[in-house]
Amino acid sequence: MPENDDAADARVDRVRSIALSEDWAATVVGLLLIVLVLAGAFPGWLVP
Amino acid sequence: MSTSDTSADAADRPLPQTPDGRATWPWTVAGVVLVVALALLVTWLSEAVPEAAEGTAWSGIAEGVEYPIYAIALGLLGNLVLSATGQRDRLSGAFRTEFFIKTGLVLLGASIDLGVIAGAALPAIIQAIVLVSAVFAFTWWLAGKLGVDQRLRALLASAVSICGVSAAIAAAGAVQARKEQLAYSASLVIVFALPSIFLLPWLATLFGLPPAVAGAWIGGNIDTTAAVSAAGALAGEDALQIATIVKVTQNALMGLVAVALTAYFAFRVERTAGSARPRWADLWHRFPKFVLGFVAASVIATVYLGLVGSAGKAAISDVNALRNFFLTLAFISIGLEFRPGPLREAGWRPVGVFGAATVFNLAVGLGLAALLFQGVATG
Repeated sequence: MPENDDAADARVDRVRSIALSEDWAATVVGLLLIVLVLAGAFPGWLVP
Repeated sequence: MSTSDTSADAADRPLPQTPDGRATWPWTVAGVVLVVALALLVTWLSEAVPEAAEGTAWSGIAEGVEYPIYAIALGLLGNLVLSATGQRDRLSGAFRTEFFIKTGLVLLGASIDLGVIAGAALPAIIQAIVLVSAVFAFTWWLAGKLGVDQRLRALLASAVSICGVSAAIAAAGAVQARKEQLAYSASLVIVFALPSIFLLPWLATLFGLPPAVAGAWIGGNIDTTAAVSAAGALAGEDALQIATIVKVTQNALMGLVAVALTAYFAFRVERTAGSARPRWADLWHRFPKFVLGFVAASVIATVYLGLVGSAGKAAISDVNALRNFFLTLAFISIGLEFRPGPLREAGWRPVGVFGAATVFNLAVGLGLAALLFQGVATG
């Protein structure tokens, strides 16, 4: 495989890994927001 | 996963950096400020325009133009301005469509009663398996007939049949596709998804589809999860809920397809000693984890409402406002991230394959949605 293909593969892996991290980040942030709002701990003025 | 998920466009964009090439977070912070400011502008426009147009001839149109339209239009406009001034790549670290849409979908879970998910789960799984298999097989076959490169063929078939850019990302890893092919597939997904956001809700109204069928059609057809949410929002709250359940089910199938592609390329296409072997652990690795968040949110909200009764509706409505805000951030990012460049480089054949597969998807998807979701209860 040519050298630039290796670099491109690394780029694809990086994008895939970012997407997987975003999966967890979105899950944690979303659930945290829900728990805060339902518990009345989320400031009302921050709700758009 | 994702979806579109235009963030696979990240494959084709540099990290935020200064002119001397060093990555810099201030640019990303500036990008976040820009996206949030545009989202606040969208929130204001979607309230102020109908109010201003009340009693005029434009009232009907102003009422019909909802926040996804303002968000995508402002995103595309911002894209034009930032591209013209050469600032887009510097700010692009903040254009996180995937993160915004997935957070929005987890929040959306809180507005869906667990009973609705339970009622729609079986038809959604049946539709996802039949539709994904049929559209993947058709696209794979047509791309083969037209002599499209094997790896691009796998990316296109995954993107059009499952969930757009996220599926393309998963497939790209499985078949060792090049970043140009990933960027190209991502661009195709967005080019086809943008008109679908407006076309499908309009056609659903024209055909007189009930909300559950309209939602299932939208969720089963539009490739990017962000665009499904935009189209669902235009079609109404009930349609949005079913569209999301159907799309999330398709997302969950992505791990299976990625593992199958890894196996196919390792044993049939590559056949080299160093080829990656598929592992069952890949199923979990590639499983879109936000699906768990979506279901957990529905469980939390259902239990909460069961405990506090109708007094809890105000809190759920605050969660819905936050959900709309995150979806707005995602729709703006779609517009900001859009790049037509890679499309010009790949020729007409992949475009033809994608277009034909989309039409096939629309027809089979409509039939399945009408068959499976006719009696499904909504919100």
